[in-house]
Amino acid sequence: MMEIANLSDFLEGYFSSHHCELLANHDGVMTVQLTEQMDRDLMNRPFYWHYVKSTGNSGQPMKLTLITNPNRRDEQGEWIHFGSPRLQQIINHLKQNEKYTKLFQRVHTNTNTPLYPWLVCNIKISYQGKQKKDELISIGLHLVNGTMHTDMMQRLQEIGLHMTISDYCYPISPMIKLKSGYLRIESVINNYIEHQSHEWAEASLETLEEEIKTLQYFYTADNNPEQMEKELNEIRQRYNPKITSEVMNGGIFYLTEGFI
Amino acid sequence: MKSIQLQPDTAFINNLEATIENDGPFSAWELFRMTYQVELTTMSPSFNGLRSLEHLPHITFLDHQVKCAELVVETMNGRAILADEVGLGKTIEAGLVLKEYMIRGMVKKALLLVPASLVNQWVTELNEKFYIPAVAHRKNYSWEQCDIIVSSIDTAKRSPHREAILDIDYDFLLIDEAHKLKNHKTKNYAFVRSLNKKYCLLLTATPVQNKLIEIFNLVSILKPGHLGNYESFLEQYGKDRTQVKRDVYLKQLIQKVMIRNTRESTSLNNTSRKIETVWIDFTPEEMAVYDQISESVASFSTFSKITFLRELCSSREACYLSLKKTATEAEQATAIEDVLTEIEQLPHHVKAQKAVELIKNIGDEKVIIFTEYRASQHYLQWYLQQHGITSVPFRGGFKRGKKDWMRQLFKDRAQVLIATEAGGEGINLQFCNHLINYDLPWNPMRIEQRIGRIHRYGQNKDVHIYNFAIRQTIEEHIMNLLYEKINLFEQVIGQLDDILTDLNINDMESEIQGIYAESTSVGEAKIKLNNLSEMIKQTQGVSRSVE
Repeated sequence: MMEIANLSDFLEGYFSSHHCELLANHDGVMTVQLTEQMDRDLMNRPFYWHYVKSTGNSGQPMKLTLITNPNRRDEQGEWIHFGSPRLQQIINHLKQNEKYTKLFQRVHTNTNTPLYPWLVCNIKISYQGKQKKDELISIGLHLVNGTMHTDMMQRLQEIGLHMTISDYCYPISPMIKLKSGYLRIESVINNYIEHQSHEWAEASLETLEEEIKTLQYFYTADNNPEQMEKELNEIRQRYNPKITSEVMNGGIFYLTEGFI
Repeated sequence: MKSIQLQPDTAFINNLEATIENDGPFSAWELFRMTYQVELTTMSPSFNGLRSLEHLPHITFLDHQVKCAELVVETMNGRAILADEVGLGKTIEAGLVLKEYMIRGMVKKALLLVPASLVNQWVTELNEKFYIPAVAHRKNYSWEQCDIIVSSIDTAKRSPHREAILDIDYDFLLIDEAHKLKNHKTKNYAFVRSLNKKYCLLLTATPVQNKLIEIFNLVSILKPGHLGNYESFLEQYGKDRTQVKRDVYLKQLIQKVMIRNTRESTSLNNTSRKIETVWIDFTPEEMAVYDQISESVASFSTFSKITFLRELCSSREACYLSLKKTATEAEQATAIEDVLTEIEQLPHHVKAQKAVELIKNIGDEKVIIFTEYRASQHYLQWYLQQHGITSVPFRGGFKRGKKDWMRQLFKDRAQVLIATEAGGEGINLQFCNHLINYDLPWNPMRIEQRIGRIHRYGQNKDVHIYNFAIRQTIEEHIMNLLYEKINLFEQVIGQLDDILTDLNINDMESEIQGIYAESTSVGEAKIKLNNLSEMIKQTQGVSRSVE
């Protein structure tokens, strides 16, 4: 499973990936020294930075103390948990900035080794009728031979990945263009959606019909076509079943032949 | 299925191509992976259940609040009347529903129309309790820019706001104190009907069952036609509200769009009410003045006589002031002057002395005193101060800011809050659990409002209510014959509202005044009071057995 199991570890990873030094971390209370960039991104004090820079100084980024252990939440620092504004901010920061990537498998070798390009898309499918639910699928497409996997992130987790290519390795150019690769992925998703049974959508359509009938009865005497049209629209918006897919993040991954 | 609308992602691949073209910026693997992790953790894998609960670990929700939110989202599809009794946390329920929809990405734009005096309170609650970034409408904000806006309906319906608001498709609309919309001929009603909304909550504390047509009007905002159309509804049910009880089908229909939790049905029952009647005897001097007023048949109208008597039972000051006022207008000035002189001679009021004694016995804990009269309020403040007891005043007429300030002072600095009016909708004093009814209002609904200030969601101690009454006075009649007889303090008054409507009694206060005014002797008044409470008790029995 890849869900966040331990918030403290997650935050540690987040801050160290952003080059912030961990000053203390014990029993669910951590203090990090922010970098200037992270201070600008998280601490919401543009006037401070504007002022400091205009005076020619370098400025002092803040320290941040976060409490993940609820038993210690009354101590000095911010209690951070799912739903708290700080975690929401961090989540948004990740979603905004970590959308696109190009990565290479780490290989220790002294012979020439080709790396093959994969298009990886992490796609969230949302089903909305009376209620809504989401599903996340991680699809990878081999851009040379067309092989596809639907548990790509799980597989990628097992290997080392870097932003630069390892020594003696060289990338193979894609045979399938990015756009047409994406179209293949899209059609797989559509196929997947089509072959599900959609009871939720049927239930929603049923309610839609019922409410429209109810509404029409209401207006049999009260002749106000404009108001009725408005309310019909509201009912349709509320119940018309729809499925949206959105790529949460993705990119090109260069992987060894043996990766599969 | 063809009828399902599909929305693919068209932007991603172009942006990825462009990023590769520019050779970056690219995410490091660790951050890329974490973003995927975040998505897995925060998405909603199931149609059912409340995700909002995981997001709000700092709030302890009560069972009925969680159930209510679930019911609204899962069964009522986001349109409902929330009609819990006062103090059970309707705001919490509404906040949960809104939060749930926001977490699931189903609501982005929301409009909350609440009484002007509650705008700030709503904004604070949503922000602090629910982390919902709601803002109060201000002159320079545009309705378009802010996603979650709280405003009063009076502002919203005025030009140019009206036009701007009508242009927006709201995902979520909330109306607080929705019973004010019960009349479909008002401008407010028409305005609310014309708003574009997806999900919609109507909050009301007063049981709207009073008049069927009012329920019909509220339901027609949520689900037009659910109760039929206007003509058919009137024809079938007329204006007779008792139909709700008789007609099981209608009741079921209403329950499909309305949730009403009562104290009786919820876990709030855990903290109970300890009710104590504190009997007090007038000193002989005080009794003499009381009798003097009571027997001066010729001097005043019965109505003002009753008022003077009630006032004397509260404080010398209250009675003195209104007698004085009458003296300047009336012809029998000399008769009044005599009484005034007598009052001037009176020692400190027995009730005030009792109050001090009681407060000292309670110790360090906070106490609220409710009185009907401003003069008594001033007097009590002074008298408590003489005995080293700190107090702050509270009146319904205070501006919002002053109310908040007084509440804060009471919480942090003073032991006692002396209030003249329970009204002040929405002031919550759960940190206090002692309440003195220094004098009793004749309108029993006001008693419940008073108690509701402290016996509400968030109270975790038993609530102590002390009812002061002076023997051998009008207070004794009211206490014995009315309040105690129908168990007014113990049981929740929501029901009583219904009962009074059944009996065609609009205003209990004037009903009782009528009894006194039309009776030629105290004995006669007592008998009539007794009859009134018998009648109420009977109706109570009937409605219980129907439910």
